[in-house]
Amino acid sequence: MAVRTAAPLAALALAGTLLAGCAPSTSGGGPQKDEKSGTLRVWLFREVGNGPKERVVDGVVRSFEKRHKGVRVDVRYIPVDSRAEKIKGAFNDPSSAPDVIEYGNTDTAGYVENGGLADVSAEFADWPQARDVDPTAKTSVTVGGKVYGAPLFVGVRALYYRTDVFRELDVEVPRTLGEVADAARRIRQERPGMYGLAVGGAYTYGAMPFIWAHGGQLAVKKKDGTYTSAVGSADAKRGIAAYTGLFGDDNCPAAKCARMGGNENVEAFAAGKAGMVVAGDFNRQAVDDGEVKGDYDVVPLPGRKRGSIAPAFAGGNNVGVLKSSSHRTLAVALMKDLAGKDTQRRLFDAMGFLPTFTDTRRQAAKKEPFVEPFVETLDAGTEFVPATPGWAEIDAGQVLPTMFQQIAGKKRGVDAAADEAARKMDEAFAE
Amino acid sequence: MTGAGAGAGAAVPRGRSRRRLRVRPWRLAAEGTAVAVALVVAFPLYWMVLSALKPAGEVRSAHPVPWTANPTLDAFRRVFGQQDFGRYFLNSLLVAGTVVIASALVAFLAATAVTRFRFRFRTTLLILFLVAQMVPVEALTIPMFFLMRDVGALNSLLSLMLPHLAFSLPFAVWMLRGFVKAVPDTLEEAALIDGASRTRFLWQILFPLVFPGLVATSVFSFISTWNDFLFAKSFIISATENSTLPMALLVFFDAETPDWGGVMAASTVMTLPVLVFFVLVHRRLVSGLGGAVKE
Amino acid sequence: MSAVAPVPGAAPPASAPAAGREQAPAPGEGQGPGQRHGRGPGPAHARGRLTPWLYLAPALLVLGGLLAYPVWQLGLISVLEYTQAQVSGGEPTSFQGLANYAELFSDAQFWDVLVATVLFAAACVLGTLAVGCALAVLLTRVRAVPRLLLMLAALGAWATPAVTGSTVWVFLFDADFGPVNRVLGLGDFSWTYGRMSAFALVFLEVVWCSFPLVMVTVYAGIRAIPAEVLEAAALDGASHWRTWRSVTTPMLRPILLVVTIQSVIWDFKIFTQIYVMTGGGGIAGQNLVLNVYAYQKAFASSQYSLGSAIGVVMLLLLLGVTLVYLRLLRRKGEEL
Repeated sequence: MAVRTAAPLAALALAGTLLAGCAPSTSGGGPQKDEKSGTLRVWLFREVGNGPKERVVDGVVRSFEKRHKGVRVDVRYIPVDSRAEKIKGAFNDPSSAPDVIEYGNTDTAGYVENGGLADVSAEFADWPQARDVDPTAKTSVTVGGKVYGAPLFVGVRALYYRTDVFRELDVEVPRTLGEVADAARRIRQERPGMYGLAVGGAYTYGAMPFIWAHGGQLAVKKKDGTYTSAVGSADAKRGIAAYTGLFGDDNCPAAKCARMGGNENVEAFAAGKAGMVVAGDFNRQAVDDGEVKGDYDVVPLPGRKRGSIAPAFAGGNNVGVLKSSSHRTLAVALMKDLAGKDTQRRLFDAMGFLPTFTDTRRQAAKKEPFVEPFVETLDAGTEFVPATPGWAEIDAGQVLPTMFQQIAGKKRGVDAAADEAARKMDEAFAE
Repeated sequence: MTGAGAGAGAAVPRGRSRRRLRVRPWRLAAEGTAVAVALVVAFPLYWMVLSALKPAGEVRSAHPVPWTANPTLDAFRRVFGQQDFGRYFLNSLLVAGTVVIASALVAFLAATAVTRFRFRFRTTLLILFLVAQMVPVEALTIPMFFLMRDVGALNSLLSLMLPHLAFSLPFAVWMLRGFVKAVPDTLEEAALIDGASRTRFLWQILFPLVFPGLVATSVFSFISTWNDFLFAKSFIISATENSTLPMALLVFFDAETPDWGGVMAASTVMTLPVLVFFVLVHRRLVSGLGGAVKE
Repeated sequence: MSAVAPVPGAAPPASAPAAGREQAPAPGEGQGPGQRHGRGPGPAHARGRLTPWLYLAPALLVLGGLLAYPVWQLGLISVLEYTQAQVSGGEPTSFQGLANYAELFSDAQFWDVLVATVLFAAACVLGTLAVGCALAVLLTRVRAVPRLLLMLAALGAWATPAVTGSTVWVFLFDADFGPVNRVLGLGDFSWTYGRMSAFALVFLEVVWCSFPLVMVTVYAGIRAIPAEVLEAAALDGASHWRTWRSVTTPMLRPILLVVTIQSVIWDFKIFTQIYVMTGGGGIAGQNLVLNVYAYQKAFASSQYSLGSAIGVVMLLLLLGVTLVYLRLLRRKGEEL
């Protein structure tokens, strides 16, 4: 009997010591040195057609190495889809970590929370070029008032429409969101095989402009810096209703469109199955590969009133320096080179990446008329997702798609679905 | 093909020929079914290869025809044109090959132990082998990551070989158990009476006899290692030169602008070696080396 | 793990007569086939008690080193607060007790997902086993060419990366761009919209990519049955069916056992197919299964504690299922 009670006790004691002494590994430890020579490691994203990007970067690296004697720059290209694991790996094993990384701007807050990115506020403020960075792009590198990198390029969405269909049906290019909906229904009515405006229940970035255009917000920042959800507000709900009202047999049947994401919408448009679509500047190639090449045009997605533009989501990538870098000064210098105006100009020519500097972007628009509506959209003011790690959880938990899909599928009303989403968002913000 | 052997029956003794005649329609039906099933099963594969050969705009088009008028190798060029692609291929071969051989040997020994011996904890052990597979792999990657880091294997091919060996073993042991069990004890006795040592019996008699099972488990460990994304993403961090093929496939799965042609071409390139590997080993599976028992 | 200790003279003696495993419980009487091909007690052979551990050593080393430790950590993490900030940011971990489990169990969605997962996994296991076994038997009845064709097709399905296989299946069944609806005359029926039809589509893909393993292993099992055993049965005048039932099936049982257990484990943990084919869990999460739920709730946002708690729950469930299954087999006279 004694043995029997002793064993669990011993086990408990053992567990206790193990909890204390053998807790799951962590790998803290802040920065240490600031070496002025050696190897700088850089991770950039590997794009589908990566050749032109590599050539631009090679140029930047060569000139950097020439200006900094005894410094070698080692650039690695990693698949975008492996970034989460790679970055976690880099945070967990500083010896594998690079000094400079390219990262998606919606990841900023998460990386900062995880203690991975270095605060470069001071260097950014001293950087002459930084004055021309557009405000939303700057928001996308800023968390809690501090700057954690330099914007590299921006991606933004506008309204693609079929010039031939509009001409044949004698439909005017819409100038308000209401007109977009009317045109969409009209096209669907006349061309039953087509969606008027392709929409998607999982196309969050396509739906957000509707919320913003109606004066709604995803979340508002409180005085203490925390966020609270705003999708339950009356304005946001009007926007949600406007977007979800487009799911139905008179435009884009819920059975097919509720599951669609941005890319499915683009594919529908490219295959000639949709009269209009909200799509990004980066979708041009996919559309040109399809059947509608030469038969479409792009305008900014209009807002609620004539002459206004619906605020778009400003996606894109940034370049940042890792906190664990032992070459901080050099790394920041390289960051500036990689995200500087000159590189951005060349990246636009090579890859079509829209510059984040307003002046560089205007020059680009002059050279390439295609990007004009996108630049117009950016100049009209864009919005960004809440800069808090809770957003990653909301995004991964598919809170907003679930809301849109519930409403589109008529499983729930706008009020109930939006309130539920707001509750889930607040839960995530609270953690 | 199916009509072959019609005249062969004449030469054999009457009793057997009658039996054959009765069986033939069944066999024809069976072969017809087999071919039909093969076609259905292969259709998605055909679609994959076809999509790899279609020009970009046709992959997702409103006219989904099972052919293309403008086949192109562009997608394959995008795959092969990736930086270090050849290196990735070799890495994958090296990792999968090592895992296959190591897991076959280790599992064979272990399976023999748990089948032809009785000892305490035998059943418990067998069940414990499975435990790690019962949890989501994502949950294990973090502790495994630190393990790999602490033994200094991170970023090397070893950090892929070891976990895959560990994850292929339980299935292989369980599987081979059945094959080892099927070998009659009498055979072992006969061998030992003939003066063979246990080691000799193990490797020269038992090993060839369980070969069909080894083929099946090897195909399993090859495929699961070859197609792994998670470890490849998580344990090869900075040393991208040690990446494996799935990383070359991943590039095409961009959330905003996926390149389906590239996905299909890369997948085709990844699937082919498995088929080649299988064709190389399948004769062992089909002949089963059952003949060894007869001698 | 002290089973080895009491062995007197460590080295395995070559031929000293001893009762090794033979004193073990005799397998089911009346089950007939046991005796014939030597699953039963045969004459004794010398077996050092160390030998099995010697044979097991490499496997134990690998599994103990690489899996036992992570599983132990998993349990530990599930009672801590452990997010990426703790892992890399150097924030202290704190003991949470069962808070992570409480959070999980109080989520109504978790229970929905759990039920769906169990039912869906059960369907997948049954479908996979049925198709795999039927085709394995079919393989033994056909000549070389159709056999090779079916094998290659199956191998191809097996070898295709899951994410690609899932993508291709979605493409094939796509309402706008897929050929299947046209061939079947389904118009623009959307497979992924309804909960059942979406699960059905994923089910088909899962069976497609997992039956080959069952087929190949069961086929290998049939091939590995020594010819003389079958000949002996035939000489005894056993009919085709009888031979199958009383000779082949019992010898296949260990193999069926492992493919069943493994299929249960794999299908219960299904991830890629659901994630890719239903767009991360279906319309408004209607097609969520446990592993996808775990990913969205925990791993994607680096909440390892909650994820580990889900992992522990899955582990216990699957362990329970496995033990019950083995117990049932044992009651039927089947030994492990």
